[in-house]
Amino acid sequence: MTIDRRRMLLAGSAAFALTATAGRGLAQGAAPADPAKIDLGRAKAEGRVVLYTSLDTQIVDTIIAPFRERYGIEVTYFRAGSSEVTGKVLAEADAGRPQADMVDASDLSSLLLMKERGMLRPFESAARALLPPSQRDPDATWIVDRLTQGVLHYNVAEFGSAPPQHWADLGRAGMAGRVSFWSASGGDGAPRIFTLAQHLGWDVVKSIAKTKPLRTVSPQTMAQIIERRERGIGLLQNDNIAWRSKLQGKGTDFVFPTEGVPSELGACGLLKTSTRPHAAALFHEWWMGAEGQALLSKGGKYSPRTDVPPPENSVPITKMKLLEQDYAVYKRDRAKILDQMADVFGGEWGN
Amino acid sequence: MGQLIAAPVRRQRFGPQNLVLGLAILLLLFLVAYPMLWLVLGALGVPAELTLSNFDRAFTRTQNYTALANTLYLGLGTGLLSMVFGVPLAWAVARSDMPGRQVIHLLVALSYITPPYLTALAYIILLGPDAGLINRLLRAVFGFSSGPLNIFSMNGVIFVIGIHVFAFTYFLTHSALKSIDKSLEESAQVLGAKRWQTTLRINLPLVAPAITGGVLLSVIDSLALFGPQAIIGMPAQIVFLPTRIYATISSYPPRWGEASALSLVLVAMTIIGLGLQRFFLERRSYVTIGGKGVRSQTIRLGGWRWALLAFCTLVVAMSAVAPIGVLTLTAFSKDWIAPPSLSNFTLAHFGSALFSDQVAARGIYNSFRLAAGAAFVAMAVGAAIAYLDLRTTLRGRVFLDYLAMLPLGLPGTVMAVGVLLAFIRLPIGIYGTIWILLIAYSARFIPLATRSVSATLRQIDASLEEAGRITGASWLQSMRRILVPMARPGLLVAFLLVFIPAFSELSATILLYTGGTETIAIAIYRLNDLGQIEVVCALAVFTIAVVLVLSALVHVLSRDRTAPSEGVG
Repeated sequence: MTIDRRRMLLAGSAAFALTATAGRGLAQGAAPADPAKIDLGRAKAEGRVVLYTSLDTQIVDTIIAPFRERYGIEVTYFRAGSSEVTGKVLAEADAGRPQADMVDASDLSSLLLMKERGMLRPFESAARALLPPSQRDPDATWIVDRLTQGVLHYNVAEFGSAPPQHWADLGRAGMAGRVSFWSASGGDGAPRIFTLAQHLGWDVVKSIAKTKPLRTVSPQTMAQIIERRERGIGLLQNDNIAWRSKLQGKGTDFVFPTEGVPSELGACGLLKTSTRPHAAALFHEWWMGAEGQALLSKGGKYSPRTDVPPPENSVPITKMKLLEQDYAVYKRDRAKILDQMADVFGGEWGN
Repeated sequence: MGQLIAAPVRRQRFGPQNLVLGLAILLLLFLVAYPMLWLVLGALGVPAELTLSNFDRAFTRTQNYTALANTLYLGLGTGLLSMVFGVPLAWAVARSDMPGRQVIHLLVALSYITPPYLTALAYIILLGPDAGLINRLLRAVFGFSSGPLNIFSMNGVIFVIGIHVFAFTYFLTHSALKSIDKSLEESAQVLGAKRWQTTLRINLPLVAPAITGGVLLSVIDSLALFGPQAIIGMPAQIVFLPTRIYATISSYPPRWGEASALSLVLVAMTIIGLGLQRFFLERRSYVTIGGKGVRSQTIRLGGWRWALLAFCTLVVAMSAVAPIGVLTLTAFSKDWIAPPSLSNFTLAHFGSALFSDQVAARGIYNSFRLAAGAAFVAMAVGAAIAYLDLRTTLRGRVFLDYLAMLPLGLPGTVMAVGVLLAFIRLPIGIYGTIWILLIAYSARFIPLATRSVSATLRQIDASLEEAGRITGASWLQSMRRILVPMARPGLLVAFLLVFIPAFSELSATILLYTGGTETIAIAIYRLNDLGQIEVVCALAVFTIAVVLVLSALVHVLSRDRTAPSEGVG
């Protein structure tokens, strides 16, 4: 290779690197900070949004379809459990290969971790005015997009009109071999079990673990187990899944124990590394907007927006006693908590 | 490169042959050696640091050594089951006068080509401790108060994997039994040996290496099967090494170093297993087993043949008929919990699986193009390596052959960790695209293509190409006009042999896919997580149908390929 050729190659590589860096820098520099600064033309030119989400695909598809139709912008999503979504975002960031424009996880701690690592871009969503302060980041890097309550989900044929009413009922001797719970291998089910233990004591959780509950990987598979009567009752089922199962006439019903139900805040945020900031912000506003949140509610999820009604035929959230999770503590002690889950329940928790 | 080609024609240093073969070598190093290097570097903490702490963590944490112990136990269990099922079936089909031998043989093949994660899903429907269809039946007939069988247990995992991997023992033993010259048995009988003595003292020692080799292959394969380990192991709260590796990466923050160290443990286990398997199979060389034209003696069993048929039927019913049957029934049922009836029949789930569901439809499309791409790359590289091995005197060609065979013993999860570590940092943007899956698939299945093309090249006399070269044809012309046309059916078989497992690959894909690059296996795995069992079963039936059609094609092509030589022999 001659020197001239080498020089040309070096110059070409440098130019390519500079263009790529400048491109990313420009994209970040021009990223809208609030809905008024979204440039629709640029959003359409960007053409695509990559969403990483832990939400049920049936709801995700319902929200995406009208957005795609209205704006002609494609939304590609990666859907997995909350831990896996978070793990993927972190791994890609570590390797300098970020793919996602927007992330949504059912566990707020994930977003707190991403914020701590400086991965989220502040964005003053119009929805912030409709949410209580505890459900939005003061720095506007994340915003709560759904509330999920853990309920007792049971098979009607097994319990008739006298289903267990309290969490502690699941730990009784007669419940051996009848209980189910869920958590993916990354420990997705841990936050709400931890919340239950924090509020009602670890003894309640340990007594339930002693009944040898059958583990499933997701709320949806737990619903299947209960519908088939493989097990009679599910611990800390997603209220929307129990609601859907009942609505579809699968022979199940659910109970909000009077001592309280763990409430899990799902949240979303925009990533700083996004190369499609206008399209991502536009989709974020659709996702958090009245229409997007109404579709979410139609799928059985509670919206944090005060102007979006709760799912059809469901208990208003104000009528429930909510057991709130301390997300900062969970984020800080997550490794220890997962170790504890493995000690109590056995199996894989990603710890 | 100068000594690549042994043909008696003057060689050009940078002639097309050396260029093509050199490219194939580079591709092999890129696909196989480079990810494996990164697996070792990753375990040592590179690029962040240089440490042995990941190994320390891999061996001292309870979660890890429990997973290791469970994996070893699983291997022992499936090995035992493989022998208990595989040997009697092989003997019955190869040597006895049991009726229905051909059907049993085909059903064993069917259980082998059915992706084991689908068998796992089927057995949750069949053997769920309370709601499983078989358990319900057993309770109705025998009046048990609960159970009695529980798929969510270590024995459940061993059973589901065992009924898949026993095919290795079956096929190897069947082949060995078919090759025993009947004159050996006749001699023993002339000398006064009874039938059982002949079986124990003549037949068994002759086929023992094949049985051991098959059992070891079953053990090695079972260690790597992520699907059933995850689908049944998770509810059973049993952790295995592949599922542990997956969990260390899929939780947050991902622990790459620990995953790499655990992967190397799995690699060590499979290398030991493969070494033992090779050792036992090579012992066949001094065993008196005849070649072509050997006629084996059919043993008449009298009334016992019905008992043997009952056993064989039970095994293939468990391994193929029941799982595929229940998946098919569920796929066509409106309500999968309700009993099958005309009013419960629907085609809607196939509509969802093949057209409506975004992930499923994309998964089917991606699986077809990935399987085709991987089959093409693996076939091209495999052909080049086989050519180097058989037609050249290149120094180091044996090493290349070994390197091409290395992925055979590597679990998909391990391969995926290596590929991720190797390619996530490269400036070429293949991470998050379908290309990273193509790399993993091509690397994983190169051994299948290499062995298949190698078998084809052995059947084609090298003198034909040499004659072409002597009469003035260039290397490329001799390839294009002589070797490739003659090897075409064999190359197609190699293509299909890679296409079939690549089409339903799960172990590596689960770690490498992202939004937009889902495959059919991912659609099945993820939709199952989302409780859409009917759509999952429709996808499963579609997958099995595709695999079945292609396997039949391989069978026909292989028969056509071997027919002339058999005729000559």
